[in-house]
Amino acid sequence: MAGTRLVLEGLSKSFAGGPPVVAALSLVVEPGEMLGFLGPSGCGKTTTLRMIGGLTPASAGRVLVDGRDVTALPPHRRDMGIVFQNYALFPHMDVAGNVAFGLEMRGMKRPEIGERVARALDLVQLGHLAKRRPKELSGGQQQRVALARALVIEPSILLLDEPLSNLDAKLREDMRSEIRDIQQRLGITTVFVTHDQAEALALCDRIAVMHGGKIAQLGTPHTIYEHPATEFVADFVGRSNRFSAMAAGGMVTMGALSVRAPGDVRGAATVMIRPHRIALGAAPGGGEWNEATGAIARVTYVGDMLACEVAAGGVTFLVERPTQPGLADPRPGEAATLHWRVSDTLVFPAGGG
Amino acid sequence: MRPAVLAGLLLGPALLVNLGTFLVPIINLALLSFNEVRPSGGVGPGPTLSTWAILFDDPYYMEIVGNSIGVSVMVTGFTVLAGYPVALFIHRAAARWRNLLVVACISPLLVSAVVRTYGWMVILGDNGIVAAALRGLGMAKAPRMVFNLTGVAIALVEILMPTMILCLLAGFGRLNASVEEAAASLGAPPWRVFLRVVLPLSLPGILLGCLLAFVLTVSSFITPKLLGGGRVILLATEIYDQAIVTLNWPLAAVLSVLSLGVFGLALLLYGRVLRLVEA
Amino acid sequence: MIGKTLHKVLIVLLFAFLLAPVVLVIPMSFSADRFLVWPPSGFSLRWYSALLGETKLMEAARNSLVLALLVTAAALAIGTPAALALGRSRFRGREPLIAVLTAPLLLPTIVLALALLIVFVGYGLIGSWAGLLFAHLLVALPYGIRVLMTAVATLPPAVEEAAASLGAPPRSVFRRVTLPLMMPGVAATAAIVFLVSFDEVVISLFVVGPELTTLPVALFRYVESKTDPLVAAVSALLVLLTLGVVVILERAMGLARAIGR
Repeated sequence: MAGTRLVLEGLSKSFAGGPPVVAALSLVVEPGEMLGFLGPSGCGKTTTLRMIGGLTPASAGRVLVDGRDVTALPPHRRDMGIVFQNYALFPHMDVAGNVAFGLEMRGMKRPEIGERVARALDLVQLGHLAKRRPKELSGGQQQRVALARALVIEPSILLLDEPLSNLDAKLREDMRSEIRDIQQRLGITTVFVTHDQAEALALCDRIAVMHGGKIAQLGTPHTIYEHPATEFVADFVGRSNRFSAMAAGGMVTMGALSVRAPGDVRGAATVMIRPHRIALGAAPGGGEWNEATGAIARVTYVGDMLACEVAAGGVTFLVERPTQPGLADPRPGEAATLHWRVSDTLVFPAGGG
Repeated sequence: MRPAVLAGLLLGPALLVNLGTFLVPIINLALLSFNEVRPSGGVGPGPTLSTWAILFDDPYYMEIVGNSIGVSVMVTGFTVLAGYPVALFIHRAAARWRNLLVVACISPLLVSAVVRTYGWMVILGDNGIVAAALRGLGMAKAPRMVFNLTGVAIALVEILMPTMILCLLAGFGRLNASVEEAAASLGAPPWRVFLRVVLPLSLPGILLGCLLAFVLTVSSFITPKLLGGGRVILLATEIYDQAIVTLNWPLAAVLSVLSLGVFGLALLLYGRVLRLVEA
Repeated sequence: MIGKTLHKVLIVLLFAFLLAPVVLVIPMSFSADRFLVWPPSGFSLRWYSALLGETKLMEAARNSLVLALLVTAAALAIGTPAALALGRSRFRGREPLIAVLTAPLLLPTIVLALALLIVFVGYGLIGSWAGLLFAHLLVALPYGIRVLMTAVATLPPAVEEAAASLGAPPRSVFRRVTLPLMMPGVAATAAIVFLVSFDEVVISLFVVGPELTTLPVALFRYVESKTDPLVAAVSALLVLLTLGVVVILERAMGLARAIGR
């Protein structure tokens, strides 16, 4: 399957004359790419997916598949595979019947359908459950049937609407890698909607972080995480310390601390520093480091790491440190020094989104 | 196909049936109440208020209305008393019995009113089951329970119980075990939990059940006619007599509009009280 | 504890009260006596065999059966598209429309009956099959629409969208997905509407004619004039019929859900 190029041009949606749920969204999904729409509930990501799939008509804008304008086409003519959040399996058909449905709609002949269905079920390792009804399957199995059903028709585009959110944590992680493997093996252009930022970071080639119906930032997981474009992105993706500060010419002042920061934001600002980018102890020589001294306020043991709250210069830092046998744990009340890279000091204008 | 046209095709037949069998005839009936009564029966000329005036000239009719309302209130009261324990029992029953119990309660609703009323004649008749039991217990002559208000009332309470139970059960939805447990843990003995927690929370269900029971009693016909033996005269039986026996359609129409009025008032009262309770 | 036992006894008594008439007609129907007497002097099948000789009752029963089947077919044909339209879309005026369509269930039946009578007389529909069909549809259709709307509401969401996304045009979606999933609801509706029509008495009372009458009306007239165990035999059979339908309803959709609470 040679990949298909998906283009969204100025896609917008408002319901019943209310405020826009999706506002003039434009982006390009490259052939074979897995693009994630990441955001909190209500940000418009599912609505966008539904507009791509033709399930919700767009108020404005266009959807182009390999250059062809499909905006006016009803869903059954768009040749897209959709995996719904609740799987939407046909309760009155067995697993094989569910998977075969799309092929029947395309007028394929019985023997060929049987072959393709068997192959699709093998792809998701469910061949032995072909005769079962959806209600007899576990959540994870239902999800895999939904995936097989969408893939067997060899669609040009695969749309996944929070396919993992109804699974429990362990299963979710297993399915994550499986979905990624299948997608890369088939080279199918995919749009993946989720509110789970760890999921998006792990699975997607690029992520569109959405907020209030608009794209806050579009980039690779690395870029989104290391160089968030707005305060909202920095806050939503990954954990952060957050401080109100005043910024002027390469320095920011928060509480009684003055530290160096990149960028040229001036005036009232919000400073964000990721907890695991802060280390306890004095800064090593060389390189650009910020330093602060204070005292340990609280230490929480979370199994794989220690979360230390350190009060320094009138503000409280959350520092995360992996637990290591043999290394003495900090204790509340002890004096402590913190250091972090200047480049890890993220500065945004105050009140930004 | 345009969605409006499709909707029209899908809803059209149902709307036509409703129009032809319900809306138009009812409006026609209401208009008929403004026609004059012809002594030989049938419909006299109109429009006039003379037929409505009969209501106020002859106290007989207002007596019937008052009687009907009174009987309905009484029957409703007894139905609540009889239905509440059953509904509470079902609500508290283990899940696997609950469905069976509900089915057992609702099934009588699907049996014809004639059959159910006749069943009561079998039970309450002078030579019926209750009379036989009372005689067996030593009573010389059992009290009359058919062809009078007593029998009608008893039968109506039973006939209305399923509906009341359904409404009460729906109302119990707001009640869950944790709320009662919380009250108990705060020191309330069972009867207080009932009075201060269970009863108030189930009030909307009680109100709905009362509304339905009242309305159904005011408009009940078969049971008063058969079990009343001509001696129990309620609105519905009077309408039937005026329309079919006396052929006095305009008067029957007036009584019909009146019963619609009673129904409307009951609805209004229900709405008011409900708002008060839910506030 | 005395309180608990008393409570249990009360519940049993109330349940017995609730089911008494429906259950007690059955033993009465086997009475060997000529009048309604309890306890019966003996048990026999005389009233069941007498039934077979009651030509008027048998004819009325046949009429009721045929009529109920016709009404069921009509209610399903008219009600299913209406329930789909009302259950799926959210258009302006949907709520008032539902209220109007279900209003016949709320108003006093006697008023509906009189209203129909007056109109029917004008059009010569008294004692006619068409008249009875429409008279029964008056109450059967709203019931049917209500039950069907409950069935439509319980259709799993997104399943139709999934079918469309897999390439099914709207016609196929309806045929392969919507309709099969609605079948239990349709079966329940058919059962309820059948019984509603079969049991209908007040409206029928007003619009039947000398040549065409229904079983409940014939029973009503019979009981008005004499009370003997014959009606018990008919009643016992009707109760059994209802029981059978209740079982169908339970398997199809659940009785409580169908009635709408």
